[in-house]
Amino acid sequence: MNTLNKKELIIGIAMLGASLTYLVLAQQLPGHDGVDAATVPKLLAGFLSLLGVMQLVSAFAKPKAAAEPAASPAPAEAEEPTVEIVEPKTVIKTLGLILGYMALLGPVGFPIMTVVYLYLQFLVLTPVNQKARHLTYLLIAVICSALIFLLFREAFDLLLPAGLLNNFI
Amino acid sequence: MLELLQQGFGAVFSLNIMMLMAVGVAMGIVFGAVPGLSATMAVALCLPLTFTMGPQAGLSLLVALFIGATSGGLISAILLKIPGTPSSIATVFDGGPLMEQGQGVKALGVGIVFSFLGTIFSIVALMFIAPQLAKVALSFGPHEYFAIAVFSLTLIATLSAGSMVKGLFAGALGIAVSTVGIAPVEAVRRFTFGVSELNGGFSMLTVMIGMFAVAEIIKLAETGRHAVQGKAKSVSMKNIKGFGFSLKEFREQLPNAGRSGLIGLGIGILPGIGAGTSNLVSYIIAKKRAKDGHTYGKGNIGGVVASETANNAGIGGAMMPLMTLGIPGDTVTAIMLGGFLIHGIQPGPLLFISQGPLVYTIFAALIVATCMMLFMEFYGLRLFIKLLDVPKHILLPIILVLCVVGAFGLSSRLFDVWSILLFGLLGYAFVKAGMPAAPFIIGFILGPMAETNLRRGLMLSDGSFAEFFTNPIAGTFLGLALVFVLWQVFSALRPKPSAINEILRT
Repeated sequence: MNTLNKKELIIGIAMLGASLTYLVLAQQLPGHDGVDAATVPKLLAGFLSLLGVMQLVSAFAKPKAAAEPAASPAPAEAEEPTVEIVEPKTVIKTLGLILGYMALLGPVGFPIMTVVYLYLQFLVLTPVNQKARHLTYLLIAVICSALIFLLFREAFDLLLPAGLLNNFI
Repeated sequence: MLELLQQGFGAVFSLNIMMLMAVGVAMGIVFGAVPGLSATMAVALCLPLTFTMGPQAGLSLLVALFIGATSGGLISAILLKIPGTPSSIATVFDGGPLMEQGQGVKALGVGIVFSFLGTIFSIVALMFIAPQLAKVALSFGPHEYFAIAVFSLTLIATLSAGSMVKGLFAGALGIAVSTVGIAPVEAVRRFTFGVSELNGGFSMLTVMIGMFAVAEIIKLAETGRHAVQGKAKSVSMKNIKGFGFSLKEFREQLPNAGRSGLIGLGIGILPGIGAGTSNLVSYIIAKKRAKDGHTYGKGNIGGVVASETANNAGIGGAMMPLMTLGIPGDTVTAIMLGGFLIHGIQPGPLLFISQGPLVYTIFAALIVATCMMLFMEFYGLRLFIKLLDVPKHILLPIILVLCVVGAFGLSSRLFDVWSILLFGLLGYAFVKAGMPAAPFIIGFILGPMAETNLRRGLMLSDGSFAEFFTNPIAGTFLGLALVFVLWQVFSALRPKPSAINEILRT
């Protein structure tokens, strides 16, 4: 219960933080008397902040309320049979890959970056009980990249950035 | 009406559109069947493909995807005992046991046929109700539109899963994000920080792709390496007559199907809740009303019928507010709205007057896609089962690439690609915080509509707010919204185990 409460508290702080940032930004909007372009954002910011405060209050109030049902078995949590293993490392690696892919999409180009991204992402996400099949991964990456690039270019009139290959395609 | 419908079928029955729709239904079924992929994702990813098509072809494809994906969820619900989409949760209760008893084909056949019947029923209802609703909506002014937008938002924010505070916050945050860009009425730049790309605000498609597809990939990275992917058991199609069940069984289920269809349609029309809720509600009611209620959950085809009829009947229901008011009822229709707008069509009451033939083309496309779904899903089952085995770690990265292509295709700028990452992170944060994403999306779409109509309404009534409450229709909707929030607060203070929570727990 304690960890749950802490999580709710953090969520509340994040909600309030986002609302206050929006409030500060909304205050800086140019305006005039009466209803103007800043009215709705200001009202919204107020409403968001109120909800943030409510979340914080409920996070503090929960331990008392939760104490009673905790006495009787809490079925929802007790019966959870599968414990999911959460891997923050894989998430960070994936985010890094997506970030790199998007950053280099313009300069290096879609065809090359897609092959690189797909291959690396397959490797990162390969389940622990499976071996990475490098050749298959590479093959899938190349075929997907080429297929998507050409399909959109020829059939859907969408020119994806070719980057380094600009002079060859 | 018949003449227009005839024209509509004429437009759909061209080789080009029929092929597109066949591909759309098949892809939709795959997206519906694979757990983790959803109807929203399918429509969002394929929307960029329709940019260069005409509105008839483009919208037919989107409709085909919608129908395929809504129905496809039953495949994994029965074969893997994992609902492919939230709209098939109740299908697992009886579909799973039927599969274990070796009656998988029967369960699938029943599910597919009643999916078909549910969809057809809702389309017919849509065809008869929508034009009448559009006539009424023609007289709506800014006051009414503002009130309806507020009502829809309140409904979706308070009804979505989890705490009401979080739901409302998600909705309000969606509106807040929609205020980025040039303001309505006054054309003041808001929250653009001097970035010219932000002048037009964030594009709806980038928000959707980010929240639903990119967030899903980040989520998979968290647990995917340790998750056990269920192996789909194949079913033997030998000696199967028709759809695998007898005429007697079919007749017995008709009252159940009729009731579930009405529930699905009714819940589908309401903004904010759709197939994800209606399949559970109709399952509970079917179980209560059935003579053999005690066998529900142990492999009674009635459970599959109730769930699948209801979730598919939501299709026509969800299309109603979209086509007549321009208000999307759920996330799939929210992207459909994007699809309409990209082709230069503004959904709303005028649609039925200015684009009559197109409206009936959509109706025709809905019907044709439903028939395609019936045969493709049953007779192409083995192929779809094979696709269920495609490993997630191969599938999702490829989908990310398609997300990037889709975002880039919007207006050929890398800014949109960065936006999907931003909203992907936000979507992931939402998942972690237990905050529902649907109110955010609907807030993002309805926010500008509410604000614009608020400003227009105030101009009409010389700055007086009173008109919003004295106008009968606007006043009713605003009053309903208030009553709804109060009722939710009241029931939150007096917690009672709700039937849906109860059934989800077992």
